[in-house]
Amino acid sequence: MSGLLPQGFWTRNETLVAVVIILFCIVATLSDPLFFSATTLTDLLRASIVLGILAVAAMLVLISGGIDVSFTAIAVFAMYTTTVFTLAVAPELPWFVIFALSIGIGACLGAINGIFIAGFGLPTLIVTLGTLSVFRGFLLTFVGSQRISALPPEMRDFSRMMITRGTTEAGNFYALPWAFAALVFVVVLTWFILHKTMLGRSIFAIGGSVESARRIGINVRATQFFVYVYVGALAGLAGIIHGAMGRMADPFSLVGLELSVIAAVVLGGARLIGGYGTITGTLLGVALIVLVQNSLIVVGIPSTWQSVTIGLLILLGTGLPAWQAKRAAARAA
Amino acid sequence: MAAATHDALVDMKGVTKRYGGVTALDGVDFTVHAGEAVCLAGENGSGKSTLIKILSGVEQPTAGTISINGTQHTNLNPRVSAAAGVMVIFQDFSLFPNMSVAENIAFSTQLGEHRTLFDLSRARKLAQSVLERIGVDIALDARVESLPVAHKQLVAICRALASEARLIIMDEPTTALTEREVRSLLAIIRKLKEEGVAVLFVSHKLAEVLEVSEKVFVLRNGKKVAEGPAAEFDAASLTRHMTGRDVPEAPPSAVTEGSKTLLDVENLTKVGAFADVSFALKAGEVLGVSGLLGSGRTSLAKALFGLVAPDSGTIRLDGEAFALGDPIAAASAGIGYVPEDRLTEGLFLTQSIARNIAVGRLDAHERRGFLDLGALMSEATDWLTRLKVKAPDPQAPVRSLSGGNQQRVALARWLSRAPRVLVLNGPSVGVDVGSKADIHDIIRDLARSGIGVIVISDDLPELLATCHRILVMKAGRVVDEIAGNSVTEDELAHRLAS
Amino acid sequence: MKTKITLMAAALLTGSALTATAVNAQDETSIATVVKIAGIQWFNRMEEGVKQYAEDNGVNAFQVGPAQADPQQQAALIEDMIAQGVDALAVVPMSPEALEPVLGRAMEQGITVITHEAAAQQNTHYDIEAFRNEDFGANLMEQLATCMGGEGEYAVFVGSLTSQTHNQWVDGAIAHQEANYPNMTLVGDKNETFDDAQNAYQKAQEVLRAFPNVKGMQGSASTDVAGIGLAIEERGMEEATCVFGTSLPSIAGQYLETGAVDGIGFWDPSVAGYAMNKLATMVMNGEEVTDGMDLGLEGYESVALEGKVIYGQAWVNVNKDNMADYPF
Repeated sequence: MSGLLPQGFWTRNETLVAVVIILFCIVATLSDPLFFSATTLTDLLRASIVLGILAVAAMLVLISGGIDVSFTAIAVFAMYTTTVFTLAVAPELPWFVIFALSIGIGACLGAINGIFIAGFGLPTLIVTLGTLSVFRGFLLTFVGSQRISALPPEMRDFSRMMITRGTTEAGNFYALPWAFAALVFVVVLTWFILHKTMLGRSIFAIGGSVESARRIGINVRATQFFVYVYVGALAGLAGIIHGAMGRMADPFSLVGLELSVIAAVVLGGARLIGGYGTITGTLLGVALIVLVQNSLIVVGIPSTWQSVTIGLLILLGTGLPAWQAKRAAARAA
Repeated sequence: MAAATHDALVDMKGVTKRYGGVTALDGVDFTVHAGEAVCLAGENGSGKSTLIKILSGVEQPTAGTISINGTQHTNLNPRVSAAAGVMVIFQDFSLFPNMSVAENIAFSTQLGEHRTLFDLSRARKLAQSVLERIGVDIALDARVESLPVAHKQLVAICRALASEARLIIMDEPTTALTEREVRSLLAIIRKLKEEGVAVLFVSHKLAEVLEVSEKVFVLRNGKKVAEGPAAEFDAASLTRHMTGRDVPEAPPSAVTEGSKTLLDVENLTKVGAFADVSFALKAGEVLGVSGLLGSGRTSLAKALFGLVAPDSGTIRLDGEAFALGDPIAAASAGIGYVPEDRLTEGLFLTQSIARNIAVGRLDAHERRGFLDLGALMSEATDWLTRLKVKAPDPQAPVRSLSGGNQQRVALARWLSRAPRVLVLNGPSVGVDVGSKADIHDIIRDLARSGIGVIVISDDLPELLATCHRILVMKAGRVVDEIAGNSVTEDELAHRLAS
Repeated sequence: MKTKITLMAAALLTGSALTATAVNAQDETSIATVVKIAGIQWFNRMEEGVKQYAEDNGVNAFQVGPAQADPQQQAALIEDMIAQGVDALAVVPMSPEALEPVLGRAMEQGITVITHEAAAQQNTHYDIEAFRNEDFGANLMEQLATCMGGEGEYAVFVGSLTSQTHNQWVDGAIAHQEANYPNMTLVGDKNETFDDAQNAYQKAQEVLRAFPNVKGMQGSASTDVAGIGLAIEERGMEEATCVFGTSLPSIAGQYLETGAVDGIGFWDPSVAGYAMNKLATMVMNGEEVTDGMDLGLEGYESVALEGKVIYGQAWVNVNKDNMADYPF
């Protein structure tokens, strides 16, 4: 429409999601002027850390043409095992060592997915559905099933490290924890890998056509293996942040979140057939889901309607572009 | 440049390939010189795909030698072959639909350099220079999925050139192109030849590329059966060599005198597709509908079967009008439709041959709510024999059949419903010459048995070989009607284009 | 034919083995307490009560539980206990419906069955509940109201909107407030936390944003007050707000210490375990349980009988001062 905008701007998922976010914010501000405040912003940013890291991970898998539902189980496994291990062996470990441990455990579990998917060539959904149950069952049976609130002190201290904190003029408290920097780091790193490295472009290529990728000499197996290990590592990071910020290692948490995460990614324009997905879109999808999950009270929608609202958004967000594409195809024919 | 070197670019001697007890290639000698275009012709199963696989290093020959650029290779693998400049453009082009034109062209080059980081500006520069080299203008940042087929093919050619191709092997290059696109492809091939790049066409639809080719090789049952300058071949002689027999394309016998009108179409209109189309079809008549891409012929074909809902007009079968835009009504009235892209529209590829035929007959074999499977399957098998489908086993998946045999299965499904009128959209697209002749035989047989047949096609010899009358469409309207036995191919081509 | 003989022999052997255990068991009354899952703090605490009962009364009372929280494993374990010939079963069902058949078989064989946390169980002699859920909710509300001075806005949280227990607690609390504290107002809906501390934290933040004047919050899932406490602590509102809810010292302890959470309520599983075993003995001795009866245990001094369900008032209220007494 306008020459300044990129081609197909108005039919993109990103645009649609951004418009819905803006509309939602306007409605929320109208129904409660307090909504538009630093407090709301920091609360929402904080709520998007874990969801955001997991969504970036899920997006990477979708781009590569697979689907991973086991990352929440990896996250909780890595977080809980790290906590139990640290408490038993060296409770005074600095937080970054604890984080590295959790990331390492996550990467190892991701490698198990990678072996089945890249090594044996099994379907990704089947493998990750299986490992989801295996990781979770193993955790609850052999590692433990008790909620631990006496975390290693460094983990507790981490959750108290703030980038900024203060009180607004209206007297409302706001704070943004340093954990948010982890999301920023993950976003920058993943963007760099996806767009600036041959590995990242290979991930897109595999998602576009595995057969073509093989024919031009891309090492499909190694690339897929990397994807699942990287996703495992990100899940480990998200898990330990979840535990530290909630000040509780809860082996029952996170699992069940995977569909919300995938929903956020799909809302942001990634396609389940592979090859498509942008970080901007994914972050917008996360923003919308977090906004809906955390602001329905303000808008006056009962909690019972929360899942209905999210479901409708997904239908709208994924259905509308698909319908537009179909209509465009019909016109072209 | 082409004249500068007389040494062969590729020289294969006595190449033999056996898979178990089957000999796919039997002592074949084959040479290509720089700047030369060569046609490799052969039916499905003649060994031409095996030859490509050996040349591109995917398969190792059982016996024989291969030299590229004067270097003899004993252990050719895809990487070595590609490094020597042998590039294959597969029928599906092997592109990445989700990536940009620039990336598709330059990605394998950067991959070959074992880089860690991807350099987009260098990729764009390389892509731009290759596109300029063949003189085409495609937006570098466009996603390949948004390009028309012809442009995708050009992107694939550019990718081969970007990787410094010396020999480009093109598998079935013209199948998906319109006449005009074929002409512009040929112009590009000429340009490549001037630059010393050799091109190998592998196809069973070769007449179109003969004019730019120097040499022709014909394979049959793994053996080279003909070789010579392209000028010595024409469509008929190629067919003869490929099939090993003359395929006489006898024109159809005349429609029986006084046979009654079967289908009566009046003022059929679909805004934006076709307008005011009227014609009548007699029992036993074969009616051709032709026209360039976008002339409305495919929409008309679909409208006859209810897949496209016309805005106005009537269709009568035996004088009875039936509901428009409703495939079920059309089918129960006695109209059958075999789509052009049988692979995606018509057949269940992973299901067995017998099931694919039987699916159209489920209602006829219902016994008190249950299926009489035995009767269903024996009927299906019976059709396989009648249509001469070469299938190892009626339970094998349709996917395992050749294109020609797949088309027969699609036909069998409709014939088993005993239709009054059969609409065939591009009946022989993508099948080899021998099967094509068989399909034409079937069409003529069908007409003799009293079925009215409508053939939608832009394959002129096909129209002439099967049709009593040919309707020519242009911009959605019927602009000409030609009696099938009154014109030659050239005249027909002329009237189509005018 | 041969198989048939082998089978019969096997059956005979098993039969005699059963009789043998049964005879052994006659020497000493044996009561098996079967819990949802073995090895977690809650049921470890319950086992203390069971052992105490065994010691006090010289009976063979013991506790078992499946390794995983799985109704099928629990049913299999009960089958084992029946085969071992126990005299009474005290069961904390994972899924009451799933256990109906096996408990029915136990009763047919003359085994006394007592259940806990399963008010709807059919195949049981008595089900004993620590309290009526509405009463427990009212008890939490009473403390919340006292802390808030009987006025101001408050919000309620449930683990899931489909959890009957959580809803009964919260409904009981709201009813109690409406009847006794007209100056208090409930703001918002029931907030759902999915039994997750992080979700409870985010919901608490949202409540604090949407209702800046909110003074009190009541949680239901054991993780609710932990999440609410974290939000309160981050905002430095320990003094300005009152937070009460169902939880355990091991989960909410750190927030009780800082005052972000003011008090928690629960029932002591060791007392419940003791009560189940005591009830089992009473049934075996043919004693009747009547409305208003004193079971001689803390919180069960005057039980209410409704059909087969016995309700006590056995809740325990814990705050910063007495949390050390409940190390679980």
